[in-house]
Amino acid sequence: MTFRKDTLWGWLFCLPLALGLTIWVAFPLGVAVVMSLFQWNMISPAKFIGLGNYVFMFFTDHLFWQSLYVMALYTVLSVPLQLIVAFGLALLLNTKAKGMGIFRTIFYLPSLIPVVVSTALWLWMFNPQYGYFNLILDTLGLPTQEWLSSPDMVIPSLVLMSLWSVGNIVIIFLAGLQGIPKELEEATQVDGGNAWHRLRHVILPFMSPVIFYNLVMGVIAGLQVFTQPYIMTNGGPANASLTYVLHLYKQAFQFSKMGYANALALVLLVLTIVLSLVVFKSSDKWVYYEGDKK
Amino acid sequence: MKKGFALLVALLLQVCFAASVLTAENIKLSFMFWGSPAEDQAIRKALKDFEGANPGISVTPLFATYSGAEYDAKMKAMSESDTLPDVGYFGGSFYDYASNNFFLDMTPYIEKEGLKKDYLPQTWLTYKDKIYGAYTAAESQVVYYNKKTLQDAGVALPPTDYKKAWTWDQYVSAWTKLTIDKGGKHPGEAGFDPKKVVRFGVFHETWDQMLFPVVWSNGGDIFSEDGKQILIDTPETIQAIQRLADLRNKNLVMSSPGLTEYNSTSKADPKVLLQNGQIGFYVSGQWELLDFAGMNFPLGIGALPIQKKPAQLYVSGINVIFKKTKNPDAAWKLQKWLMSPDKTLDLYAKGLWMPTKSSWYTNKEDLAKWVNNPAHPAGFKEAVLDSMTISRVAPARIKNYTQIWSEFVNPEMDLIWLGKQSAEVGLKKAAAKVRASGLLQGLW
Repeated sequence: MTFRKDTLWGWLFCLPLALGLTIWVAFPLGVAVVMSLFQWNMISPAKFIGLGNYVFMFFTDHLFWQSLYVMALYTVLSVPLQLIVAFGLALLLNTKAKGMGIFRTIFYLPSLIPVVVSTALWLWMFNPQYGYFNLILDTLGLPTQEWLSSPDMVIPSLVLMSLWSVGNIVIIFLAGLQGIPKELEEATQVDGGNAWHRLRHVILPFMSPVIFYNLVMGVIAGLQVFTQPYIMTNGGPANASLTYVLHLYKQAFQFSKMGYANALALVLLVLTIVLSLVVFKSSDKWVYYEGDKK
Repeated sequence: MKKGFALLVALLLQVCFAASVLTAENIKLSFMFWGSPAEDQAIRKALKDFEGANPGISVTPLFATYSGAEYDAKMKAMSESDTLPDVGYFGGSFYDYASNNFFLDMTPYIEKEGLKKDYLPQTWLTYKDKIYGAYTAAESQVVYYNKKTLQDAGVALPPTDYKKAWTWDQYVSAWTKLTIDKGGKHPGEAGFDPKKVVRFGVFHETWDQMLFPVVWSNGGDIFSEDGKQILIDTPETIQAIQRLADLRNKNLVMSSPGLTEYNSTSKADPKVLLQNGQIGFYVSGQWELLDFAGMNFPLGIGALPIQKKPAQLYVSGINVIFKKTKNPDAAWKLQKWLMSPDKTLDLYAKGLWMPTKSSWYTNKEDLAKWVNNPAHPAGFKEAVLDSMTISRVAPARIKNYTQIWSEFVNPEMDLIWLGKQSAEVGLKKAAAKVRASGLLQGLW
């Protein structure tokens, strides 16, 4: 009797999640798969064209390859830098200096600002004529930059901006750092190890699962970057900041190619899965779990 | 008995009348539009006036800032979710929607009221001989300048007669005189530092339609009449675009693209730069007059530069009534209201629009009503109004226009403006790509 009751409760508790996944994830995904086989502009009836969208994507749409390149460039530059900067900040914020609470708050603050607002602010800082960055460079006697208006500088500029809001990653690192057993760090000191030894042989191994988590999340976020280029550059100049999702968005909502946009989205999904699997596979080599038997 | 019957009829009529008033009070319309904050205010006032004159009809204003294709994207989302407004401005994809039967056919109303001939011939937008839209207004390109800046710099004011305007070179020499760096040097002088300019001579808008008059004035074109050819790689067009690019890269009289392109919400507003004396001239649309009217500085208007011949652009947003409206008659009333300068004089007198109603150009009294005011500076009539007689309508019927421009032409333009490639190289590349894309499919 109790068994049956438990089962019922079990099902009930699962239901919100199961329904949510079905209604908000599985069903739209299915629709997307179907619609990617159609030519559909949202205002006239859809026309079945088989794999036509995919053929167009791989063989005709030069912006598909351009946007893949931009996405890859952004991810390759931003993810390692974000991890390094966030890790460094977390190490600093984990010390026992005075007023640490205030510092932690300050470094987390940018993550609380809505991305549209912070992006608008950065637009001004990047402004070649009136912006702060060029003012600073100029005052220091360094050559000023064109930032967002130069095809070569636009992605590095966006990466630089992304470093401003690493607060979320810092918090996760910080939590991880506080879980490292003190006795191990002390043992290193007793054995005559310096700060580098402590970092290399105690902190990094212990932190590797956290780094792994942030790496996976960072890669996925990197592949999906949209808001910043959408607001700041609209993909320009000369498509140098046309990220994959921005390309997808333009196809869907500006050029009314909803079927094609669905095909693009599915290719991104496959790409994300493949890349995540690669990272997961590689984790055997460098992620250390306490209690793992090897 | 007879009397009783008459009384009954009268009573019934009364009830009917009361009922009709009651139901009339339930008519709710929505009107969607874009624009600057000043345009937002102006349109809201026009809608309020409409409500005042038409008891029983209320209009909900739906305001959206216009940035590139964003308004269109919003429309698309609204059409998908079945939340389209009753009446509204419409952007670039008018014919996509018209061909898919989204708009109310205005022809019966227009014919019934005999309105067609009262308006400029280009006003009505037809698809398969039915009128599905009307240009919101008549709008054009204007050369603005800050009189004080020019006078302080000792630069002569440009002529206002569009037939006797300065040539391109004369404008460039005025812009050169106005451009000044921190050390007080002008472009072309030894020691001039283009990175430390405190005032640029000009800012010329470079979004697609703002290029047309420049190209046309040089005898070039963008598309063929039938929309099947792209003509941006003809020598005349290349030369005109190169002249514009030279303003930045050779003449050094215009700021780098980063200041103003790409983004409309966070860019340095050229109108403010003009007011502050940070630029001397500003070439943009006539609708800027509305915003200028609220800014306190001596605004001047000049005629567009002449290369080979004078040219002018007729450009405008489109007004449509959506077919799904539950109150087509009331929606038409609103549309007609917005097209009637005598009802919405403010929209015209304050500089936002020029009328589409012909008599408001030809009838001296009507003309005076909207032109003789501080919002329209001296020279407006000769430089802008008179030039409308030679204006050409911006291409609206070309299929895939937005995508052609956005995906193939603009990216090459970016590199031209940045000086990373010549107009010849860039426009030839763009034209070849457009031809290979299969998007040139003629007219709607």
